[in-house]
Amino acid sequence: MDLLEPLQSGIERRALAEVVLLGAFCGAFGCWVTTFRLSYPAESLAHGLLPGLVVAALAGIPLLLGGVAGVAVAALAVAVAGRDARVGSDTATAVAVTGLLGLGSLLALTPDAPARLEELLFGDPLGVTDGDLAAAAALALAGGLALVALHRPLAAVALDAGGARSLGISATAVRFALLALLAAALAVAVQGLGSLLVLAVLIGPAVAVRGHFSTPGRSMAAAAVVAALAGVAGIYASAWLGTAAGASVALALCAAAALGALVRGVAGRRAAASPSP
Amino acid sequence: MTAAVAASGLAVAYGGGRPALERVEFELAAGSSLCVLGPNGGGKTTLFRALTGELAPLRGTVSVAGGRPAYLAQTERTRLDFPVSALDVALMGSLANGRWWLPARRSDRATARAALDRVGLADRAGDRFGELSGGQRQRVLLARAIVQDARVLLLDEPLAGVDPASAERIERLFGELRDEGRALLVSTHDVDSARAFDRVLCVNHDQIAFGAPADVLSREVLERTYGAEIVVLDEPGPDGTVRAVTVQHHHHDH
Amino acid sequence: MDPAALPAPTDLVELRFMRTALVELALLGVAGGLLGAWIVLRRLAFFAHATGTATFPGLVVADATGFSATLAALAVALGYAGGVERAGRAGRDPGDVATALLLVVALAGGVVLASDVFESGAAVDRLLFGTALGLGAGDLWIAAGAAAAALAATLLLGRAWTAVGFDGAGGEALGVPVRTADRLLLGLVAVAAVAALPAVGALLVASLFVVPAATARLLTRSVGGLLAAAVAVAVVQGAAGLYVSLWLDAPPGPAVAVVGSLLYVAAALATAARATARPAPLEAA
Repeated sequence: MDLLEPLQSGIERRALAEVVLLGAFCGAFGCWVTTFRLSYPAESLAHGLLPGLVVAALAGIPLLLGGVAGVAVAALAVAVAGRDARVGSDTATAVAVTGLLGLGSLLALTPDAPARLEELLFGDPLGVTDGDLAAAAALALAGGLALVALHRPLAAVALDAGGARSLGISATAVRFALLALLAAALAVAVQGLGSLLVLAVLIGPAVAVRGHFSTPGRSMAAAAVVAALAGVAGIYASAWLGTAAGASVALALCAAAALGALVRGVAGRRAAASPSP
Repeated sequence: MTAAVAASGLAVAYGGGRPALERVEFELAAGSSLCVLGPNGGGKTTLFRALTGELAPLRGTVSVAGGRPAYLAQTERTRLDFPVSALDVALMGSLANGRWWLPARRSDRATARAALDRVGLADRAGDRFGELSGGQRQRVLLARAIVQDARVLLLDEPLAGVDPASAERIERLFGELRDEGRALLVSTHDVDSARAFDRVLCVNHDQIAFGAPADVLSREVLERTYGAEIVVLDEPGPDGTVRAVTVQHHHHDH
Repeated sequence: MDPAALPAPTDLVELRFMRTALVELALLGVAGGLLGAWIVLRRLAFFAHATGTATFPGLVVADATGFSATLAALAVALGYAGGVERAGRAGRDPGDVATALLLVVALAGGVVLASDVFESGAAVDRLLFGTALGLGAGDLWIAAGAAAAALAATLLLGRAWTAVGFDGAGGEALGVPVRTADRLLLGLVAVAAVAALPAVGALLVASLFVVPAATARLLTRSVGGLLAAAVAVAVVQGAAGLYVSLWLDAPPGPAVAVVGSLLYVAAALATAARATARPAPLEAA
């Protein structure tokens, strides 16, 4: 089979560019998402933004706008729900996410709606437009700069929030910046991987590289490379096997995570078995 | 007379790891009280979990007379948001009769009400547990232990965060329960309060000392128990034992 | 049917398939309300959601191969519950990261299997969001079994679940078989989630097993009151959701989820005023 075959179609060239751009930023950023234990909030926001996407699709406006509005609504709902001490924040969050996911699918499944729900849920990298690519490039550039600028405060707060405060770094401000970046990443990346699968690109690469590198910076660089490579592998696999592109990319990212964890486990067991000096 | 609680050469570990506590050796008679002193993470709660049977000994033996001991966790470890009343919690003690699948009987309810009365909370029976003060919550848990009618009571930091009036009442209850022939094991941070007990056990991963307060509470033992976490005061207490203040961070893991 | 025109509420009982769906959702409301109360008390909301979603690839394979979807989903759900229980027993959280990735694998794997391996793309919506049309006697029997099991377990294990949820170590010291009680709860949630799959789909089982009990939790102050109110809310929410689904000609899963969340919001707003008016607990002895 011709290795370059996917590159000959404009559709697949765009899909490859999309997954590389998204992977480079989301892979690196995902290291902070897992470090700050934000994978459950990230999943809630990703699922909860569905109504925004559906409304945008129904109204014929760019999905990116719907994603931004959806993530804002979801963040508000999750934040309000999370403050309810009576049922506990996890239960209240589950209620908010269930309601939003239900609302989005209800809007999308009425007979008059265009049959795009599966694309919004599971993503369609092959359907990215030039606008989507521009958004992904802007995310990679601006988000990358933000990660560089925030690197030292993030590392300080992750290591020791109390100590960071004495250095004049506000843990609250750092967390807020992190959540804003998360919202932006989700709003853009959801175009490629869909509301239900977008978490793969944020978490998978971070899990794959965890414990293999000595500094956060190296881990992030490695996670960006892993994410981009897994994304390319997913697009190639979908072209060769004829499988759904978004799901293939998500599975490739999860396979990378499993491989990283496996290697870590074997290395850990070997280290434990060898006699310590 | 046989011991109510005894441990011999006891070592306990979590999940096959290294022992969290080893070389524990003590005996406690029925109708007497034991104060367990040690730093955070020093093995106090681990010892209790071995005595309840939740953790099996890695080596050595433990024995507890008269059936299951009652266990009173630190009240912040209970779920304060749980929709249970003081009476509901006291009534949980009747589960110890072994027939947990049956509904509570009328006689169980009467026992639970009497126990609440005994800890001075008869008028708060219908109040939510989580809406009571720290001292009241501790007394409700004591009522649950009274309903359980355990011969041995294990109490984890029962006076932490309790106001002085409640603390006095709880300590009086300790005396009454001991006089009924029950054995009480109480873990605490408060070195000063240890003098009021019949026996003191100092643990910090290993057993450091066991015996009567006057013999155990020496500067040397306390420094070995707490390491750098203790300031021993130069002025001795009224009965000649050492006075000391522990300086600990309050984090509660195991 | 014109989606803008409201159907007559009597259609719910007069249309044969609607009657079946109504009975199905009422039975699931009993199971979901009772188990949901324990799920909310024991903070297992995410587990309930994850169990449903994890069954998705099993459903796809069963749907395409003609194998019993119930058995396939049950195998996946019980396998998942077993894994969570084992991790919990070893003192580990199953891990939010690992769970999140597992769910992505389940969803992505299910989509690949559905659209590419089995070419049963049209079934994906039904498996994810449920259907009111295709419910048969078998589904009703399974839902009735789940309701009966939830009721029996609540009667027999309710005191033990309350004692263990309130204070795990203290419950253990009372001689309550904590491990068996936990295992039975996780297993029952898995079984009941599978029973709910035909009606509400794999993605929204939380609409039956979390949302009504959360609403009831806001309105009640005792475990008994919570159980009763959760069943009532779940049944009302199921009937109202079914009506919305008939009106919009959409699957019942999303409709039940939306109605249920609106009921929760209404309950939260109604009780918020009361909560701020209530005096703070006394700190005196």
